[in-house]
Amino acid sequence: MALRNALLRHLRVPVTVRGSKQSPIRFIRAFSSHDDHLSKQDVVDRVLDVVKSFPKVDPAKVTPDVHFQKDLGLDSLDTVEIVMAIEEEFKLEIPDKEADKIDSCSLAIEYVFNHPMSS
Amino acid sequence: MSGVSSAAYFARRAAQKERVRILYRRALKDTLNWAVHRHIFYRDASDLREKFNANQDVEDVDRIDKLIAHGEAEYDKWRHPDPYIVPWAPGGSKFCRNPTPPAGIEIVYNYGQEDNP
Repeated sequence: MALRNALLRHLRVPVTVRGSKQSPIRFIRAFSSHDDHLSKQDVVDRVLDVVKSFPKVDPAKVTPDVHFQKDLGLDSLDTVEIVMAIEEEFKLEIPDKEADKIDSCSLAIEYVFNHPMSS
Repeated sequence: MSGVSSAAYFARRAAQKERVRILYRRALKDTLNWAVHRHIFYRDASDLREKFNANQDVEDVDRIDKLIAHGEAEYDKWRHPDPYIVPWAPGGSKFCRNPTPPAGIEIVYNYGQEDNP
């Protein structure tokens, strides 16, 4: 009986019981720095700043839902320049097809806000 | 007949406009790659914009095609050998570097205390 117990003590795997440190919600540590997401107001402010500092744009007309070509009277090449400026501001890399579709402030804000890597 | 052809004409023009926009975008990024200092970049970007603006009123579809092909050839000639790409984007240095670990993997924080549980 004692022999059996001694054998079992060797064979059993020790169970670590962390009594006080165990919280009901287990915090799984993430291996990336993806928890610093921008707030929507931040994104809106920065995008509007970028658009307002464009030389061909009248800053008074810029609102969060303004269309670059219809409301601000810009060219399609100007839209390309604005999208590039937004890419530089938020350190993003937008694929060409997606960048072509960004036509207005609201689309730009939505895209930047939903992008996981905007900073 | 004319309805179909004008739809095809507009489709072709729209495709050309998209090609022009994408070409302008790539050329502008390339200019930024070559001219890192901002004041030089602004000058070169203005020159590039002038080149694009000079041809913006052309109406003949074939001539537009030729101009776009010429522009794309010039872009290919001037492409930077080591362009700046954002690190996490395809082609950047951090792309696919640290993939997310499979779910359920944890660290048990008991370094030095494995013997007394």
